[in-house]
Amino acid sequence: MANGYAGKILKVNLTTKEISVIDTTKYEEFGGGVGMGAAIFWDLAVVPGDWDLQDAFDPRNVISLMSGPLAATGVPGGGRTSVCGIASETFPTPLFHRTSFGGRFATMLKLAGWDGVVIQGRADSPVWINIINDKVTMEDGTRLWGLDTFETQGKITSAVVGRTRFGQQWQQIEKDYTTALPQIVCIGPIGESMTRVAALIHGSGVSARTGGFGGVFGSKNLKAVSVIGTGGIKVADPAGVVDTRLWHTRNFPRIMNVTPGTSACMPCLNNDRRRNSYYGGESMCADEYWYMGPQKPGQMFGGDPDERMRGADIGVKWGICTWATKFGGAITLPVQNAPAAFKGMVPMEPGMGWYIKYLYEIGVLGPGMQIDSYPLPMDQWDTLKFREIFCDAIARRVGIGADLAEGFLEAVKKWGRLEEDMNAGTLRLPAWGASWHHSLPGVDWAYSYIFMSGDPMWHGFFGLNAGGFGGPATYTAEELVEMMAKKVVPFDGDPIMFSNSWKGEEARRTGIYSPHKAKMLAWARRYAGFYNESMSICEMLLPNFISSGPKGIAGPSPELEYRYYKAVTGSKNTLADTIEIGRKIWNMERAIRVVAGRHRDQEKFAPFMYMPGATFPIGGDKPVYLGGKWGFENQNNLFLDRDGVEQFKTHFYKLEGWDVDTGWPTRKTLEGLGMKKVADIMAGKGKLGA
Amino acid sequence: MAESENPKDRGKKIDRREFLVGSGAALAAGALAVGVPGTAEASSEKVSYPKSKGYLVYDSRLCLGCQSCMFACSMTHEGVANPSLSRIQIIRDAPSFTKYPYDIVMSVCRQCVSPLCVQNCPTGACHVDNENGNIRRIDQSKCIGCQMCIKSCPQKPHRTIWDSVKNKSTKCDLCADAPYWNEKGGPEGKQACVETCPVKALKLVTKAPPQRDIDGYDVNLAPPPRKTGFPGMEFPKTQPEPEAKKGGA
Repeated sequence: MANGYAGKILKVNLTTKEISVIDTTKYEEFGGGVGMGAAIFWDLAVVPGDWDLQDAFDPRNVISLMSGPLAATGVPGGGRTSVCGIASETFPTPLFHRTSFGGRFATMLKLAGWDGVVIQGRADSPVWINIINDKVTMEDGTRLWGLDTFETQGKITSAVVGRTRFGQQWQQIEKDYTTALPQIVCIGPIGESMTRVAALIHGSGVSARTGGFGGVFGSKNLKAVSVIGTGGIKVADPAGVVDTRLWHTRNFPRIMNVTPGTSACMPCLNNDRRRNSYYGGESMCADEYWYMGPQKPGQMFGGDPDERMRGADIGVKWGICTWATKFGGAITLPVQNAPAAFKGMVPMEPGMGWYIKYLYEIGVLGPGMQIDSYPLPMDQWDTLKFREIFCDAIARRVGIGADLAEGFLEAVKKWGRLEEDMNAGTLRLPAWGASWHHSLPGVDWAYSYIFMSGDPMWHGFFGLNAGGFGGPATYTAEELVEMMAKKVVPFDGDPIMFSNSWKGEEARRTGIYSPHKAKMLAWARRYAGFYNESMSICEMLLPNFISSGPKGIAGPSPELEYRYYKAVTGSKNTLADTIEIGRKIWNMERAIRVVAGRHRDQEKFAPFMYMPGATFPIGGDKPVYLGGKWGFENQNNLFLDRDGVEQFKTHFYKLEGWDVDTGWPTRKTLEGLGMKKVADIMAGKGKLGA
Repeated sequence: MAESENPKDRGKKIDRREFLVGSGAALAAGALAVGVPGTAEASSEKVSYPKSKGYLVYDSRLCLGCQSCMFACSMTHEGVANPSLSRIQIIRDAPSFTKYPYDIVMSVCRQCVSPLCVQNCPTGACHVDNENGNIRRIDQSKCIGCQMCIKSCPQKPHRTIWDSVKNKSTKCDLCADAPYWNEKGGPEGKQACVETCPVKALKLVTKAPPQRDIDGYDVNLAPPPRKTGFPGMEFPKTQPEPEAKKGGA
């Protein structure tokens, strides 16, 4: 086994109670994380051919919690846990989806000797999985069922390490010792009742939100997975790993507020682990924005920070997906030509919570009304009490909670408002029922929505604007794109791909509908597929393209992550090779989605993306190439053109080697990636591109 | 949890990280065993040693719990990423949700002025290294694995650690002998944990901190707040929070 890997993957079949081992070597060609998770999903859920992949709660669904080789090796941000499987949250159908969470779970998994955990089947009664180094047991979870996520982790910790006094003792596991506590990922009551808005929770706020995998855990009668380990991970070049870190921190000032933590995503966003600060402690923005007080003039975030974190705690304890159930996001800004429902002021993230209030204000939803709001106290919408009752109603499927438990757009559909509010632009969910998240401007993010299964959760190119993240620009648009053009191997040397022209013929020739833009998106998916989703490096930390250091504007990416990869694994792969592995992972995901029914005709945006007011104006000025010259352009009025998007899809499918009529990978493409067996199965299903 | 049986320890200030020799909490049924090793038999009579020329102080309120220091320690010393072999332990209580700032315990070797680990080593393996600024360190070639250094460490958890790979004890040497550390280590050099800490929650000082309790070591290292890219945001916003710290470094 190569350096950086523990060498084995745990497979647990909850139906048969069989606990077995997969040799990691078998999947090493897919890197780790989502790459391995997707390939394992293919082998266990697609190859048998007895399941149509349409029901996330089917026992045949395979959900994997995977680390990457950089976890537990001291690489900053390299310890995220990738989660993939058929998601319950996507609309109109469940889709193959990948998400991830930070914290120490993946690190501890590696130290216990496992590269990942693969779960299939459904237990007869509630269980939790207890991993103590090589010893794996399925424990009775009956007494944990109904507990919130904090209580659950406390009970499991006590069961695993007994009455250990925190911070004062070493614990013995066979011949080894550790001061650590078990790391646990679990669900709350929202997940137990198989809702489609449930998250996986780890610690006091770390979670895998998108996808609704909490409900998948619930469908499997799986309350939690706990792991504690005392081993180590061998790396190829220990000094090289440490030296790379020092090269980074000594030469490149931070962009944003991301601090390079080690074992994973600690409260690195603002260097402050207290839960009453911005992105409080382990919680991330979705949790903190879930409950916002009124925004005062000049205040970026509304409400009192302590109150916000109390709101976050409610969501985390219940195990709700605060992302899918957004109440409005951090800020509300004026947007020209916004759909009528917003009255000119658009909240950053108008999700399920915001929409409920909207229906209440227009007299459609309320006590005894057309849509009965029972048991929600609509007159207390902006209170913590409302959030508690909101969660309780969904978890117990009481009243309106029964509708909401089936997901945001499923509820809207049931209420008979889907078509009307979609076409009016009231529902600002770009694709697949996924919440708005920096989709425009910066179209690579938007395009990823339709080609994947919703929000890509990838900020890599988001900062490519005047000033990057914050602050005035210290560089010209030309300097920016020329610097970037050197970094995007193997598409380097084409700065036009970073142009964001969006009007007229220029948009089709050099802008957001052009073949150049297809290269930008392809690189993003390949880079993210390898480095963020399979090497499992925090995507808020890396890539980091822009610096403001004395050496110019170029940030450390992709040299930094490539150096880490080499130092840990000792691989002889070139940087281009790693991006190519990313392409392989991207096509593995694509193959699963195609087998599950994906077709070009489905890859469309929600109507609002084609309407004036589609952009939320916080993306900053973007580089554009107009009339042979580069400049920055304010794109707050950007919206998409349907024909332009279709044109872009054709360019992108061609570049990826996918059939332009169906969007399906061709045999030539798959075989070129060493995926002949995948091509054969797709051919057998009549899903191979021509 | 047993208190120390040594009469000389009576009257000593006990804080939340109580001073104690040995350990041995009762175990819940089926739970993991706790602690290295058994009861206290080590001497705690004070013997004079030359003071170390370097001490690691830290700020447990600033620490993020990211374990950068732990991985850097085991990587530079052992060439493997293994937190159990790290001479510095950052213990974080996420699942039990202890409130800030008590949710993190930084377990850092104090290079004690009166090092009981050195005093109680029967072979001289644990010694004061006169050639490297009088640091207290362990020569594993002389270690017989008796764990007396571990038993006699008055800190909880003990700072001398058990290397279960080599079946010998080891401890912090301020990177004086770190084969995979490409910088000069020791009390006059740089330490991997200090250099890799992303928030500068560790610092090397040359003056021996007060030995009475943890306050001499757990000090305020917070930098002045700095501007960020987000309007109205600075970090650290306000540091530290509850009571003011006694020490300074």
